[in-house]
Amino acid sequence: MFQQVMKTTLQSLSFAALIAVPAFAFSAAQPGQPAPDFSEVDASGKTQTLADYKGEWLVVEWFNKDCPYVRKHYGSENMQALQKKYTDKGVKWVSVISSAFGRQGHLEADEAIAEAKSNGSALSAAYLLDEDGGMGRAFGAKATPHMFVINPEGVVVYAGAIDDNSSANPAVIAKSTNYVAAALDAGMKGDAIQVASTRAYGCSVKY
Amino acid sequence: MKLPTYTVALFWFISLFLIWTTPVSAEETTSGDHVKVRWLAPDTFASGSTEHIGFYFEVDPKWHVYWRNAGDSGAAPRFDIQATGATVDPVKWPFPTRLPVAHLTNLGYEGNVAYLLPITPEAGAESLSLTVDLEWLVCKIDCIPGFGQMTLTRPIGKTANWKSGDLALRDNFLNRVPQASSSNLWSVQSLTSTSATEITLTLSDATKQATIFPLDADLIAAAEPKVKQVSNGMSYTFERVSANQVATTDFVVTDGEKAWRLSNVPIQAAAAQPIPVEATQPLWLLLLAAFVGGMILNLMPCVFPVLSIKMMGLVQSPASKRLSEAFAYTAGVLVTFGALGGLLLLLRASGSAIGWGFQLQSAPVILALITLFWLMALSFSGVFEFGHRLMTAAGNHRGGAFITGVLAVFVATPCTGPFMGVALGAAATLPPTSAMAIFLGLGAGLAAPFVLLCLSPALLRRLPKPGAWMVTLQQFLAFPLYLTVIWLLWVLGRLVGDNGWLIASLLMVSLVFAIWLGRSASKARRWMAAGIAVIALAAAFTSVITTPASSQKTLSTSSWQSFDAAKIAEARANNQAVFVDYTAAWCITCQVNKKLVLDTDPIQALFKENKVLLVRADWTHHDAAITESLAQFGRNSVPVYAWYAPGTKQAELLPQLLQAGMIRDLFNTP
Repeated sequence: MFQQVMKTTLQSLSFAALIAVPAFAFSAAQPGQPAPDFSEVDASGKTQTLADYKGEWLVVEWFNKDCPYVRKHYGSENMQALQKKYTDKGVKWVSVISSAFGRQGHLEADEAIAEAKSNGSALSAAYLLDEDGGMGRAFGAKATPHMFVINPEGVVVYAGAIDDNSSANPAVIAKSTNYVAAALDAGMKGDAIQVASTRAYGCSVKY
Repeated sequence: MKLPTYTVALFWFISLFLIWTTPVSAEETTSGDHVKVRWLAPDTFASGSTEHIGFYFEVDPKWHVYWRNAGDSGAAPRFDIQATGATVDPVKWPFPTRLPVAHLTNLGYEGNVAYLLPITPEAGAESLSLTVDLEWLVCKIDCIPGFGQMTLTRPIGKTANWKSGDLALRDNFLNRVPQASSSNLWSVQSLTSTSATEITLTLSDATKQATIFPLDADLIAAAEPKVKQVSNGMSYTFERVSANQVATTDFVVTDGEKAWRLSNVPIQAAAAQPIPVEATQPLWLLLLAAFVGGMILNLMPCVFPVLSIKMMGLVQSPASKRLSEAFAYTAGVLVTFGALGGLLLLLRASGSAIGWGFQLQSAPVILALITLFWLMALSFSGVFEFGHRLMTAAGNHRGGAFITGVLAVFVATPCTGPFMGVALGAAATLPPTSAMAIFLGLGAGLAAPFVLLCLSPALLRRLPKPGAWMVTLQQFLAFPLYLTVIWLLWVLGRLVGDNGWLIASLLMVSLVFAIWLGRSASKARRWMAAGIAVIALAAAFTSVITTPASSQKTLSTSSWQSFDAAKIAEARANNQAVFVDYTAAWCITCQVNKKLVLDTDPIQALFKENKVLLVRADWTHHDAAITESLAQFGRNSVPVYAWYAPGTKQAELLPQLLQAGMIRDLFNTP
């Protein structure tokens, strides 16, 4: 019996030592940390994972077609131009829809394919359909648009807003500093990225 | 029918285009979906005096507009202001509320709000006029941006002339605008970057809980902070948005009625990067200290009985068996030291401010140790025998010695003896490999005497021959164990309050009852005994885990103040001498020093005579502020005695084993 007691005691000891540890939360995709692993089915039915993009620069964008701030950048063609400019340079670019079923911006696979066609985006894959919000939560995506730049080693190098002007007015884009472009330009040259983290502005992600 | 998306988009942009480009006729109000905006302004302004006027947003129920820091999403309104006949200052923002959106948090206003604009008529002007372009975002779940233009033209007279309703509304929101921090209820103790993902603000007064909003959205998340009572007030731990290196940041703190601005609060680095005091000491010296410290641990009252009994049992065994026992024991000690050290390093890497002895800051661990020592003491007294069963348990010999090793480490951790403090303190600052070497050095020291005896027949021969005296010795050694149990009960009481005593004592009685029942020949009774033991253990551990940590900080003598870094700094600035006793209920050395030296009448009188500020930093509970303070000395274990002579810049650290003479020497100027 003693051995049983001893065993229980030792188990409690190690258990207690573990729970005594102050809990700390890993908050999402932070610059300097490895990007959260993801595996999501895209609108074309293909499974997309982080590993697929190993060795390449990757931009991950959170998208909600009905969000005024997304429309600021799509209506003005700013986002499409950015996608085209960098995918032409070999950067991969994926857009994620984390809107839950029945909430603003939620799209079924066929709707998502039609949306990509109509808005003229230059994405490296069909929209990633993160209906359960798992990928969004893992990345800590808070707003649309929320932008992440991941380097070929799989480390997040930029997380935050697309640019420095949180107005919904497309007229301000011309005068704004684009953080994603700045991060890609500096990162691909091997330079230090000046601004690695900002507050993403826009609509909340509709989890 | 569904319109093609581009048609919708086109329509949307045409309407936006129209809003921006259509010349807006001079209007004193503007509106958009779910929002109407009007002025709160006097009919006449008073010449030469600053007036606050308001942009009054009337918002549909359940919709909200945002604070200057909108939080996880959303956007603050923007005001582009052109003034003639007056000068304007930046807009002032009444304190917001937290608006949860799924797992995200926004900062804004539920219901109507007035953003306030300070305006001063120019000298000699007869009237003033304003033209403001506004942009705002109004959200329920979905968000709708709004745009508009408002104008205001008013004469300037001798006195301000308000409509009473508007003035009352204006005052209501002006009262909620953060004031300068000088009139604050709370004062900032510290702002510490506790880890890459967390930042902790500590405010003085713990009697009233504050609601705190960060201003820098790029740095700190809007989500509700984790609130905890600490020795010097209340700590609020926020999630960090980024690891951005900034020197200072701002907060707004409110009691729900008024608000204050905490400006330019300096951010301190986490305790993980303290001043490398030990850098001057070579690693080999530290390792030696660790080894010697570990050897001394063998003599501690809780370790000694366990090991001596084990040793006696081995005297007659053949050399080969002794060898394997020695290896198993060493492995147990090293693995446990390695595991505890690894856990400590892991936590350190994550930025948690913890130190050696952190295991004993947890009530379940203390309860587990009480159970363990109680059972060992009972068996030493001969109430029941486990020695034989352990030996005969199917080929479990090595397991037995291994567990003795594990046990030895766990029971030794409270006893930071001489030499150990320096080594452990260094381990907290050294790179992981060197730190681990020190932990293992301690382990090697702890294991060394036992191994030496096992391996050297010459030494073994010197031990007295086994005989009846061993039973007597075993029974005698039960008494230090009983004392240890009493001490641990006291520690538990300090951790969770009076209930701690009750829970643990009930558990102890239940276990004795179970043992008594279990000695019966009847199988049913033995099952019942096992059942009782299991239920008692489960109940005790559950209640200890669910009992909230006791916040009582009863100081044994009123001459000691509780730890408060600001108070210490203040006293030192006033050329007052300060003595800080870093202690913990579970630290035996600390209690001995307290009883024999610090709390004795002559020493207390000496302190009083010299007007020394006495501070007791109680580390019984996990306390980030004290851990950080210890780290500044390059230590992370107790006891530490810090002496700040009047007017000196640096603290002098006293030895871990105090003598009255050492304290007297502090006041004998040579």
